[in-house]
Amino acid sequence: MADMDADTAAHTEPSVEEEEPFFSNLDLLLFSLIVGIVVYWYMSRKKPEPIPEFKKLDTPAPAARETSFIEKMKKTGKNIIVFYGSQTGTGEEFANRLSKDAQRYGMKGMAADPEEYEMAELARLSQIENSLAIFCMATYGEGDPTDNAQDFYDWLQEIDDEDLSGLNYTVFALGNKTYEHYNAMGKYVDKRLEELGAKRIFDLGLGDDDGNLEEDFVSWREQFWPSVCEHFGVEASGDDSSIRQYELKEHTDLNMNKVYSGEMGRLKSFEVQKPPYDSKNPFLAPVTVNRKLNKAGDRHLMHVELDITGSKIRYDSGDHVAVFPTNDSAMVNKLGQILGVDLDVVISLNNLDEESNKKHPFPCPTSYRTALTHYLDISQPPRTNVLYELAQYASDPKDQENMRRMSSSSPEGKALYHSWVQGACRNILAILEDMPSLRPPVDHLCELLPRLQARYYSIASSSKVHPDRISICAVVVEYETPTGRTNKGVATNWLKNKLVTDNGHKSTVPMFIRKSQFRLPFKATNPVIMIGPGTGIAPFMGFIQERGWLKEQGKEVGETVLYFGCRYKNEDYIYQEELEEAEKKGVLTQLNVAFSRDEEKKVYVQHLLKNSKEHLWKLIHSDNAHIYVCGDAKNMAKDVQTALQDIAEELGGMTRTQATDYVKKLMTKGRYSQDVWT
Amino acid sequence: MTTKTKAEPKSSGVTNGGARIVVDGDDEVLSPTDLSEMLAEGTKDSHDKAENCQFVKDFLRGRIKRELFKRGTAALYFVYAAMEEEIEKNEDHPHIAPIYFPAELHRREALARDLEYFYGEDWESQISLSAGTKPYVDRIHEVGQRDPVLLVAHSYTRYMGDLSGGQILKKVAQRALKLPSTGEGLNFYQFEGIHSQKGFKQLYRSRMNELELDAETKERIVGESNRAFSFNMMVFTELEEIGKTIKEEVQDAGLGHSHAEIMEGMDGGDINKCPYYAAKMVASGNPTYACQLAMTLLRHPPCQWALAAWVALLAGFTAWYLL
Ligand SMILES: Cc1cc2nc3c(=O)[nH]c(=O)nc-3n(C[C@H](O)[C@H](O)[C@H](O)COP(=O)(O)OP(=O)(O)OC[C@H]3O[C@@H](n4cnc5c(N)ncnc54)[C@H](O)[C@@H]3O)c2cc1C
Ligand SMILES: NC(=O)c1ccc[n+]([C@@H]2O[C@H](COP(=O)([O-])OP(=O)(O)OC[C@H]3O[C@@H](n4cnc5c(N)ncnc54)[C@H](OP(=O)(O)O)[C@@H]3O)[C@@H](O)[C@H]2O)c1
Ligand code: HEM
Ligand SMILES: Cc1cc2nc3c(=O)[nH]c(=O)nc-3n(C[C@H](O)[C@H](O)[C@H](O)COP(=O)(O)O)c2cc1C
Repeated sequence: MADMDADTAAHTEPSVEEEEPFFSNLDLLLFSLIVGIVVYWYMSRKKPEPIPEFKKLDTPAPAARETSFIEKMKKTGKNIIVFYGSQTGTGEEFANRLSKDAQRYGMKGMAADPEEYEMAELARLSQIENSLAIFCMATYGEGDPTDNAQDFYDWLQEIDDEDLSGLNYTVFALGNKTYEHYNAMGKYVDKRLEELGAKRIFDLGLGDDDGNLEEDFVSWREQFWPSVCEHFGVEASGDDSSIRQYELKEHTDLNMNKVYSGEMGRLKSFEVQKPPYDSKNPFLAPVTVNRKLNKAGDRHLMHVELDITGSKIRYDSGDHVAVFPTNDSAMVNKLGQILGVDLDVVISLNNLDEESNKKHPFPCPTSYRTALTHYLDISQPPRTNVLYELAQYASDPKDQENMRRMSSSSPEGKALYHSWVQGACRNILAILEDMPSLRPPVDHLCELLPRLQARYYSIASSSKVHPDRISICAVVVEYETPTGRTNKGVATNWLKNKLVTDNGHKSTVPMFIRKSQFRLPFKATNPVIMIGPGTGIAPFMGFIQERGWLKEQGKEVGETVLYFGCRYKNEDYIYQEELEEAEKKGVLTQLNVAFSRDEEKKVYVQHLLKNSKEHLWKLIHSDNAHIYVCGDAKNMAKDVQTALQDIAEELGGMTRTQATDYVKKLMTKGRYSQDVWT
Repeated sequence: MTTKTKAEPKSSGVTNGGARIVVDGDDEVLSPTDLSEMLAEGTKDSHDKAENCQFVKDFLRGRIKRELFKRGTAALYFVYAAMEEEIEKNEDHPHIAPIYFPAELHRREALARDLEYFYGEDWESQISLSAGTKPYVDRIHEVGQRDPVLLVAHSYTRYMGDLSGGQILKKVAQRALKLPSTGEGLNFYQFEGIHSQKGFKQLYRSRMNELELDAETKERIVGESNRAFSFNMMVFTELEEIGKTIKEEVQDAGLGHSHAEIMEGMDGGDINKCPYYAAKMVASGNPTYACQLAMTLLRHPPCQWALAAWVALLAGFTAWYLL
């Protein structure tokens, strides 16, 4: 503290008022008083005022503390105990929620602070039938336990001869990825208990507070409970309603003005549009251009332009446009048919937990048709928790068993889910078709399906040149599944069908802008290296427009190098004319295109990078060039990074590690930016 | 990632909260003279100190009183109002324009909403610039007017910090103070215009590195950043000291009258003017406060009259302390 104060004083000196000479008109009485107090303080230092211990104040000390959790569990008829290592309460909250959950599955749980109990009793937990210990463990400091789990941690480290066989356990870890020792405590407990002979009945869950901890927890717990039930051979509690999170209300006499018809937030926000526009209040942008980009081939690459005139929407090149698509109406109708329901019934699903701030799973009241069209994802393979909850509605015991199995954590179950659902690309409709005995009530299905997400596209125009329009470059997703069905990408097929005029009406797209960090350098003179095969060209169309505009303004513009790649020169070399024109004008100082399927040997962008490595290295190392990579995240972006590391290693005379660090550092400093997706 | 590493050995329990980021051995390879690197490197020690001062440590453990959080928010309001005012004035300055991101970064409005949540509609009349915050605010205006390039340092120290450790503080505060999950009271920590904090920090670094600066100016910016860290610690220290005088229980502000609330009614919130407070500072072993107390007393014109009051008060205090 002392050095810190000295520091502070030194630094603030100019702004502190001129100090008066200390003794000029100092009253002696005053001085002695102060001295007195200082002396007093000195004397009393040995018995400092106790700093209130908030935690202890919270809980008045019980007369006689029960330190045996086994006794307590026996007395109260519990079979599940949830220990929490928590500092600021999240782990504790999760523990409480898990202990409450137990009831829904016909078990009884209690949350417990490891500091308050004799943890050595874990060896005896098996005295209780179907018992299970859950640990919600947060990590702090440098991979350290929380205060309340310190003793437990020490105990785990010390014991060597303890035999914990018979103890069933699972761990959910709470941490934050920004820390080097990510979830160290949770991982340690998980591993150590296994070493001591305990039985892990469900995989370690990792919660990342930097991302979405709540989501991590919820998805872990959705998989966890089915697996516990399976392990103990118990059925979810017979009373179905107890498992539902929402209650169904059908509306028969509701004014249609009060019914949601696809809005994300405010009712009627599509009819009366008001800025500012965001994810809760998207702007309905008219489609002004929708053209096919590829000259041949059976794919459909498209260029779509959205008109944002009058919307007050502003964007920069490199930003993303988000669109809210709708599901294919034929698919929605089929769902209605197969479930035998009237899709136009108006309903609300109301949360049974009144305290939750999520009142409905999607905007309510609305019709089933609207929900299945605008709000729910019906095209991705459902997750295992959905299968688990739906299993009860399969009248064929075989189907029921298979569904339960797929949602368990057993290797066979996982494999079955992997092949039958994911591998076969079965969406909910395909599952209903292939499991004729499964006919869930539509309201429960609507409760379980995840929300339909907005789709993001890298804006393919520059606001400097086109302040009132936003361009999208996208490829339509359509593929054959192993079961012989044709699956169609939701947003791209919807966009493809957005004709400029549809029966005399303008087609519109609900959209908003998401700012990104994929930005051109501030100084136009800085060189840029753009690498974007396929639809990865999108943001670079904006960049090129902007560099061209800068040039037209008479600005000096640095080197502008593009690496593009496609399959065939004559099929999917998209924007060929624009690119060649930009090269002619000198806006693009280099246009490198890799055609992967025109010759026997694949030629990719990274091969072209290697071909011009000397020049690239000079741009990067000496001229402060910014590198931009856009497109496929899974393979392309990684391969390009490796290629650049190779170049740094070779031409920078670095070791492998140094070259890797070099590229990482370029990223940290914002000189190597990626806009990639899977 | 950055290269903020800890100098001190591993401590047990929850003592510090910094992310330890992998150190790259050889810094010479890629322009160690880039401003972003000089700043990260040159403020490492200050960062360590800031993270490890008592107030921050308590905060990280969830031991934060609502009253203190409110005051902290008010202090930040004055700091950001000053900083953003100066940045706006200099938005076309060649050293400010590249790092001018009002839509993404600026916090003044967010802080105003937080203060409204905590203090109600007339929040503006309830807060005042505290003695511990004033030097910080003055300094920001000073550099804004005389040496705008140093605003880079102030901007870096706060915004980059808010985008890093600030996100941890947000979560701790939300839980400890049981603030609504919808974000009221925490707008400050919520950067609506930034989708990826990591990505934005990278962009920001690249913009700092694009500034055309000579070596000497870069050094001055690093110096100013360290100074900004010290100003922040002054604010923390003041809050910590105020915290000691608040008998309020964690989480249940409003039950009865806390000392702080009473004092607020008395003098508009400037705790340093409270003689009791200064005396208490002295008693708590902070020598700079002895001086400050004396100064405070001496600046009072009707000294004799005041003295009598002081004596009474201090006597009262001493008695209180003894009991
Ligand atoms: C930041 C960002 C920027 C983006 N920019 C662009 C852009 O500029 N241009 C662009 O075209 N896209 C871009 N995308 C991708 C875009 O958002 C959509 O994901 C894409 O258009 C597909 O959407 P969809 O609704 O048509 O397909 P969906 O209905 O979402 O279907 C896609 C899913 O189908 C499955 N699938 C697809 N092909 C196959 C196959 N052959 N076999 C098995 N399964 C398959 C995969 O699970 C895939 O996730 C971007 C994504 C992000 C996150
Ligand atoms: N999973 C994958 O392997 C993969 C690959 C590319 C794109 N995608 C995804 O598919 C969607 C459509 O992509 P698109 O139409 O924009 O691209 P595309 O037209 O399929 O591909 C563009 C070019 O990139 C080439 N390419 C393939 N793998 C590459 C690699 N590892 N490194 C460099 N180049 C590579 C392709 O070559 P060939 O096709 O001849 O090999 C093609 O010439 C996107 O969402 C993208 O994320 C996935
Ligand atoms: C409350 C305790 C704090 C914690 C837990 C904390 C944590 C962190 C972390 C995790 C980073 C990592 C940055 C990265 O990966 O990019 C960081 C960076 C930073 N912090 Fe803090 N911090 C704290 C206090 C402060 C304070 C008080 C300040 C100054 C007011 C500050 C200023 C900064 C700055 C400027 C950076 C950016 C470093 C860089 O990238 O150059 N921090 N902090
Ligand atoms: C000061 C501090 C230090 C932390 N250190 C780590 C760490 O080293 N590793 C990690 O994975 N998470 C770390 N975290 C993240 C916490 O574990 C995470 O936020 C967790 O959700 C907190 O849970 P609790 O509220 O139950 O205490 C840290 C958080 C704070 C505030």
